[in-house]
Amino acid sequence: MAIDLKAVEQLATDQSSLKAAAGLAKPAKWSGIGGSSDGALIWGECAGSGANPYRVMADLRDLGNKCTCPSRKFPCKHVLGLLWLNAEAIVPFAPADTPAWVSDWLGRRRGTSAAKPASAPTATGEKDLGAARAAEPDVAEDPKDVARREAQAAKRNEETERAIVDALDALEQWIGDQLRMGLSGFIDDATARCRRIAARLVDGKAAVLAGRIDELPSRLLALASGDRPRGAVVELGKLVLLARAFRATPRDAEIRRAVASSETRETVLADPQAPRIDAQWEVLAEQVQTRRDGLVSQTTWLLNLAASGPRFAMLLDFFPASAGRRGSVFTPGERFRGELVFYPSQQPLRALLVRRDAADETLTSEWPTADQTLSDALSKPLLTEPWMIEIPLLLPQGRIAHDDSGAAWWRAADGATTLPLAGNAEGLLAGTELTRTAAIWSGNRLRILAAQSPWGRISGHD
Amino acid sequence: MTETASPQTIFEAMGAVVTRWTMGSSATSAASFWRDELGDDPVEAELRLLAFSGQFLGATVTAEAPLELRVLPDIPQLALPTVPEPLRPLARRILAASKDAASKADLVYFLATRGWTTHPADWMPDASDEDAPDVYAVWRDWSAFAAAGETTPRQTGNQLTAGNWEDFWPAARKAALIGLRRRDPSAARALLEAKLGSENADARLRLLSLLSDRLSGEDVAFLEGLVANDRAPKVKALATSMLARLGHGPAAGEDIAELAGFFSVKTKGLLRRSRVIEIERPKTPAQWQRRKALLDGTDLMSFSDALGLAPQDLIAAWDWNVDPAADAGLIKLIVDTGTDAQLAQAAGIISEHDATGLVVALAPRLTPAERAKFAAAGLRTHGIGFEMAQMIAGTSARLDDLLSAPAGAKLLAELRRDDAKPSDHVAEFHALGLLASRTGAQQTLQRLTSAGLLQADPRLDMLRLNAALDDNGETP
Repeated sequence: MAIDLKAVEQLATDQSSLKAAAGLAKPAKWSGIGGSSDGALIWGECAGSGANPYRVMADLRDLGNKCTCPSRKFPCKHVLGLLWLNAEAIVPFAPADTPAWVSDWLGRRRGTSAAKPASAPTATGEKDLGAARAAEPDVAEDPKDVARREAQAAKRNEETERAIVDALDALEQWIGDQLRMGLSGFIDDATARCRRIAARLVDGKAAVLAGRIDELPSRLLALASGDRPRGAVVELGKLVLLARAFRATPRDAEIRRAVASSETRETVLADPQAPRIDAQWEVLAEQVQTRRDGLVSQTTWLLNLAASGPRFAMLLDFFPASAGRRGSVFTPGERFRGELVFYPSQQPLRALLVRRDAADETLTSEWPTADQTLSDALSKPLLTEPWMIEIPLLLPQGRIAHDDSGAAWWRAADGATTLPLAGNAEGLLAGTELTRTAAIWSGNRLRILAAQSPWGRISGHD
Repeated sequence: MTETASPQTIFEAMGAVVTRWTMGSSATSAASFWRDELGDDPVEAELRLLAFSGQFLGATVTAEAPLELRVLPDIPQLALPTVPEPLRPLARRILAASKDAASKADLVYFLATRGWTTHPADWMPDASDEDAPDVYAVWRDWSAFAAAGETTPRQTGNQLTAGNWEDFWPAARKAALIGLRRRDPSAARALLEAKLGSENADARLRLLSLLSDRLSGEDVAFLEGLVANDRAPKVKALATSMLARLGHGPAAGEDIAELAGFFSVKTKGLLRRSRVIEIERPKTPAQWQRRKALLDGTDLMSFSDALGLAPQDLIAAWDWNVDPAADAGLIKLIVDTGTDAQLAQAAGIISEHDATGLVVALAPRLTPAERAKFAAAGLRTHGIGFEMAQMIAGTSARLDDLLSAPAGAKLLAELRRDDAKPSDHVAEFHALGLLASRTGAQQTLQRLTSAGLLQADPRLDMLRLNAALDDNGETP
């Protein structure tokens, strides 16, 4: 089954979509390109601006399509890019087993449009592939303009820094007020109080910190009521530490990332200091959370299957909740070989996916052993980043146990460590030896992402 | 930091620090060991103390586990292997798409018929899941055990006796009892005679129903005892219906004449005179109700007696497809109180009479081979759909060449329609997957994909699982 460029042109909503698609119709932007053996379906993964690639799929019989990007254009530039790759045979679409995410999409497709052939263009205005392909002429830049722009950027930076420091002053004053008024009142009214200071921080350009404070009440409420005063002291104490760290080194990228904003994908990719790790990875879990500020965060936890190197990687993306539900990018348990670039940090964790290939077939199914003792794993990250609220852990052999109240605990096989679980653990998770467990330690409780057992891989609890 | 502040000292002070902050008072005096670090400015000192305390409490203080922690035993291995790893995603998808427990049960039974079980991470039965296949009994008991909070597992195995009855969890006991009934029917009955009285009404009902298998005249005395003495009306009713199946129906009451009044036996034909039941049409809603109540309250033997016929003659002379409510009433009588032979006779007749839907009601008492036979006949001669055929056949039919049945031709034609939607006929495709033999599923898949369906079409999931799964089950 083949399509021609005319169809791509007709499908595009406007000329700018075509222009953007032309930029994506290059092999380097894509991985995991494939097609069904009957030639009807094609799919691929396209690197976008986020940490996760977008999953793009199309049904060539009727040009039905789907992409996991948050664009409101339909079809988006990624779909057009994929179709373009196919129409011009820029890359081979090797017949392969249909991935589960494509099957899932097929199952959800409905409506009368599916079996109809591509219809006449719906958008108004002339669109032209040739024009989209034409390269923009390079305009020679005036050195004066460049200097002026740099000066402006430096000024803006300074202004931002000042705004942030002012906001942090307000935050510290607010924290002092909470102590004076009593933490019991703070715990009861945390949502409203945190909302107010978070709004002040947003005004002061400390957006990341604002998001963190917005989520503070829900982290507190997840604790047992007797544990909340301790939890509040830990949370607020970390905020003081972070505020002080920013004042000391406002230009430190790592601290700035925790307070104001993260570097763009391009900045990280261009940074020679950013560690690049080429390894085999296993997808542990994907967490999708709608935050109070209206953003949905999509966190993918990866486990490095190599004997050493950063053990975990976290791919983090945000998109507006109004963009609707997004398909998952990864399937928990899936393995791949990939190159990740980590945001520069003393403990590299947050990363971007640069390239992704099929996993090495000869790979053992075993996870590596933990490379540090459990007490080190729990406390060491806090020496360099004391404001950290989530520490990923690879736990040695252990098992789930329950106390009299029914609360669940993870207990190491050697009995040396017993850690409380954040939720309940039922079914297989509680009924077998866990030879390895990947979990997040947060708020002094453990949330299991996935585990290995004599029954194979087990997903964590919700 | 002041050298004398040991972790123990800090830890001991933390209680007071947190309490003071909780109340809204200054806490610095409770941590005098940090006096130098906190400095003289009272506002700044509170914030510094907060930073220190937060770090200390966050990094070093974790909840202490109670001494007594309960660890559940390992989930036991089942007698059948779990679905091969590459097919688990497919099985998971089918389970996820199953909206109700009944369709999940279909898949679970299908797998058991083919000699497989689900992976415990994909599906496990609840303790109370009486409908789960017997092979899952140890998992049901594991769940019961987990819920009950006990610490030592009870017995499992096949050797159930009155002496070790209490050592078994209910599901394992049920499985053992089923095994015993098959090997030695009277031993199983004797065991129930000894132990049934100590169980509650629901458990008695479930245990008693196990006697349906290999029901014989030897069970009559026990059943009569239950009818006379059991406290639970449901148990009495079940025992009564089992007795009726054995030809020991209760004495017909006065109502039976009234019921017979709704029907009359006529003869027809000149040379080969045969009898036919004529159904008097009730005239008012009250009469409809009354007839239904009377049919519900009798048994096949009494009813046929009242019409002056033997039960098999009543079934043969019934005028099917004239009065659906009366048909359903008679079918219910046969299911509840008919012998196996009468049941098979009725199934044969209604299958011929184009009333295939009624076979669904009889199906639970038919053998898998009979069910498959009637489903195939319904498909070939009466043009029923795959969904209905699957309801008749259950999950162990293993039919071949399904698409050449009228329902198959219809399905293929619908797929070619211009307005065909990707979500059409989901249930028909699923039923096809449950009905087909492994080779049948492979051939069906091939024909469907050459008719234009995508190989990856999720509607074909059940067929794909069937086609890919080795059939290691016992064939009937």
